[in-house]
Amino acid sequence: MTVALVLLTLLVGAWLLAVIEAWLTTGRLRPVAPLLAGLSHLGRESILARKPDRLFFETAPVLLLVVAVLGAAVLPLAPDLVIADLATGALFLNAVLAYVLVSLIMAGWGPNGAYAMVGGWRFLGQLIAYSMLIVMPITATAMRAESLLNSAIVESQAGLWNIVYQPLGFVLFFIAAIALAFRSPFDLPTAPGELAGGVDAEYTGVRLAVLRLARLVMVITLSAATTVFFLGGWQGPLLPPWAWSLIKTLAVAVSMLLVGFYLPRIREADLLGWCWKLGIPLALLNILIVGLLILVVP
Amino acid sequence: MSEAATTLAGARKGRPSILRRWVGQALARNLSCLVVPGPEVALAHGLDLAAADMRIAATPRDATVLLIVGELSQKLDEATAVLYAQMPRPRAILVLGGSAPSSLPQADVSADLSQTELMEAATRLQRLLAEGAFAASPDDFDSSILQTKTEYVCPMHPEVVEDEPGSCPKCGMDLVAREAGGDSDAGEHDENRGHEHHEHHHDHKHESEGHDHHHAHHNDHGQSHERHHGHHQNHKHAHDHEQHQGDDDHEHAHCHEHEDHQGQDHGHQQEPAQEQSGTEYICPMHPEVVRSEPGRCPKCGMDLEPHKPGEDESVKEDVSEHDHEHHHDHSGHDHDGHDHSDHDHDHDHDHDHDHDHDHDSSGFMSMVEVTKDLPRSADGLAMDWLEVPFGPCFPGLPGGLKLTLTLDGDGVTEGQATSLVAMNTSSEEVAVETFIERLAAAMPLAPVSYRLLACRAIEQAAGLEPDPAVERGRAAALERERIASHLGWLAQLGRQLSFVWLTRRAAALQLETQRADREQLVALRPALQSLIARLEHTPLLKARLKGIGALPHGSQDLRGTVARASGRTEDARQADAMYRELGFEMRAESAGDAWARLRQRHVEIMTSLDLVEVAGDPELPKLRAIDNPSGTGEATVETPRGRATLRLTQERGQVVSVELDSACSQHIGLVADLVEGQELGDALVAVGSLDLSPWEVTS
Repeated sequence: MTVALVLLTLLVGAWLLAVIEAWLTTGRLRPVAPLLAGLSHLGRESILARKPDRLFFETAPVLLLVVAVLGAAVLPLAPDLVIADLATGALFLNAVLAYVLVSLIMAGWGPNGAYAMVGGWRFLGQLIAYSMLIVMPITATAMRAESLLNSAIVESQAGLWNIVYQPLGFVLFFIAAIALAFRSPFDLPTAPGELAGGVDAEYTGVRLAVLRLARLVMVITLSAATTVFFLGGWQGPLLPPWAWSLIKTLAVAVSMLLVGFYLPRIREADLLGWCWKLGIPLALLNILIVGLLILVVP
Repeated sequence: MSEAATTLAGARKGRPSILRRWVGQALARNLSCLVVPGPEVALAHGLDLAAADMRIAATPRDATVLLIVGELSQKLDEATAVLYAQMPRPRAILVLGGSAPSSLPQADVSADLSQTELMEAATRLQRLLAEGAFAASPDDFDSSILQTKTEYVCPMHPEVVEDEPGSCPKCGMDLVAREAGGDSDAGEHDENRGHEHHEHHHDHKHESEGHDHHHAHHNDHGQSHERHHGHHQNHKHAHDHEQHQGDDDHEHAHCHEHEDHQGQDHGHQQEPAQEQSGTEYICPMHPEVVRSEPGRCPKCGMDLEPHKPGEDESVKEDVSEHDHEHHHDHSGHDHDGHDHSDHDHDHDHDHDHDHDHDHDSSGFMSMVEVTKDLPRSADGLAMDWLEVPFGPCFPGLPGGLKLTLTLDGDGVTEGQATSLVAMNTSSEEVAVETFIERLAAAMPLAPVSYRLLACRAIEQAAGLEPDPAVERGRAAALERERIASHLGWLAQLGRQLSFVWLTRRAAALQLETQRADREQLVALRPALQSLIARLEHTPLLKARLKGIGALPHGSQDLRGTVARASGRTEDARQADAMYRELGFEMRAESAGDAWARLRQRHVEIMTSLDLVEVAGDPELPKLRAIDNPSGTGEATVETPRGRATLRLTQERGQVVSVELDSACSQHIGLVADLVEGQELGDALVAVGSLDLSPWEVTS
């Protein structure tokens, strides 16, 4: 039951996100558009690139979808609405996200084409850098909760959400989440204007449908993670807990889309330079500040 | 509409069923178009694809409709056939304002170049897709462009290339199949590079091979046929076939054959090691040190490594193949990518063997040896260099421009740009009126400027003095085109940088500007100002453009906006008395990089708007009545991309000789220097910032 509800939430979230994305790009609000797009992908040929690494090529989209769903599995949408409230939930999320890299490297290598390959390797640097900005802000939230249980992290924010308690951590996590979901302005692995789709470039038909769905679910999962770690999770007045989770998650997801809509793609050198030279020291500073707050404020 | 016309030429194989009907309807309501030559050309023609419910696809893989705007040059026509072959079925062809390209099936829908025609064509296309997306026996797509050949080479002796399978005359090994155009004739390619007239164009090796519309380089496949594979002719495979996963879709049996080839490849890789015996000992750092006994290297003192001679050779061979690829074979195939990964596999293989030995002895895997002859990057890393084509229909570059970059990882070691739609000025005699129309039609990104240029040159040849009243209207039309053109460049920049807001906003303003009169243009001023103000304060944009594509100050090759952004006061309008009267004042940036070019274009948009406001309603240049239809004339116009000069001679109302000197012919030569040593993204931004119009390159 819980599994079905979480999966349904992910699908509905992905659909809403696709509607909003198409609205931003075309200026038209068409609720059926994502369903039509999905259906038309199913009806189109699924071309296998020449001399592919078939295993990698076939696995990558599915793996990305699995990663996104696994990540969502440890995020509580309400006190009882979580597939697995692992004792190491916060850590598990970070571990799962590492497989985004595996998936993209496979998608880059699999089709045996230069655009895809460059895209895949670009993401290697991107993920290694930005997963630091995922794990370090999560560490600070776990310090406050004194637990790696995701539900405990939500409960620790009862008095004050982490977005206020540790705003620096929130900003870093939000940026890193966009980078991990490789959405604009961090869409270097796909980069339509530079790599003609990059890792997406060779996928058609059903495989492309899976890949697109996986990318949308990924955004929902990362938004849900932002909600859990920084926006007080399910907490809120009047509405039932699941509704608050959903509203906050969608709000974060839409703001990720908007950031991409209004910004050009970042330069590769800046992407890495800013993360290592600025982001990571700031994340350490965040941990230090949170540590001091925990010691000083009872 | 006849019965036959209800099915698409590019239908997918399948009997009609309810589910397929739904799919057809979904496809019809979700038209994604690959625009040839490019979205910027559609915009310049005033076409609003979004209004016709069409989405612009970044790759042929993602497109249902091949939308061809205007007439295509021969080279672009061929490239388009390759793009079409890469589109998954069901696929449709929509031709606007031109004849259907000769290498493609007949267009499913044709219409004229106008928004109303486009809307109507979209409706017809939707009906066709809804009804005819699936057919029991769809036509195969076959074109001479897509053919390729197989040749047989000895794995040990690259110089042995045969047309037939068999064994190597030197070592007796079985020959291995590969696509013609491999490394062995690289030298020849080199010689032939630049010649565009080869009869055999096979570049699409990819296609050939798995019919699977292979790999990545879609966008340019078209181009690679500069390669000349006159010999090694064996099997010609036609493609368009894809390897489908489902069996209901097999259009062709070729796939299997190809897989066989691959199988052979693998088979052969194992052979050398098995056949060789007798271990040698070599120094991992100094390959010239070879001993029959274990020991130390006399040069560096390292332990010598056991090595089987055969393996050694195979490593060297690999390496030398790389060499060929990287140094000689600049003909732009994608299959470079393939070869490259094939080599990688080979390397892996060799490593495996090394490993085996190494486990027995020293435990050292000789990466040094494997990479010893590979080209080195600036950072000293040995990597495979890939020659990757970008264009002629690449989402981040102007359509018709083909950029060939040698990639070293994500960096560009060298590159060059060519135009596939270059203008040919050595035309036959034509009537003056026809000449004007042709010249304007040949320059889809700046038709007004070239119409004006032709009119002025002809009038000058006829000895007419400029008429101030007429010139004012013309100047207003020219300045309006400049605004629209710069907005089109901004939209293109947005596409290149996935900056969706910019693309939408700039394209919408461009469409509004194109046919606006003075009042309407003046009314657009606040919108233009806010666009510019917003761009100059967009986070990341400055970081993205600043310092990229910097050009030396005062270079004589520079013209127009590119020159003025480098601080060079170069503007044909300064010499024009009428412009002085309008209060024209030139302003120039000085940094000479992509950011300066962006700002310079901003400045020029506003300057042009001021000029239109003073000059009055724009009037399209029309040839004034001329009395003396013979003579020689020369005119210069500051087009949106820079000064263009036209010299022509006319006799009895016929234009007999023409000489055109345009800014883009100069600027395209800057590309090689701009991209060298840059990171890929920066190189593309640098090329994009030149605002090249490949049509305005004279061949």
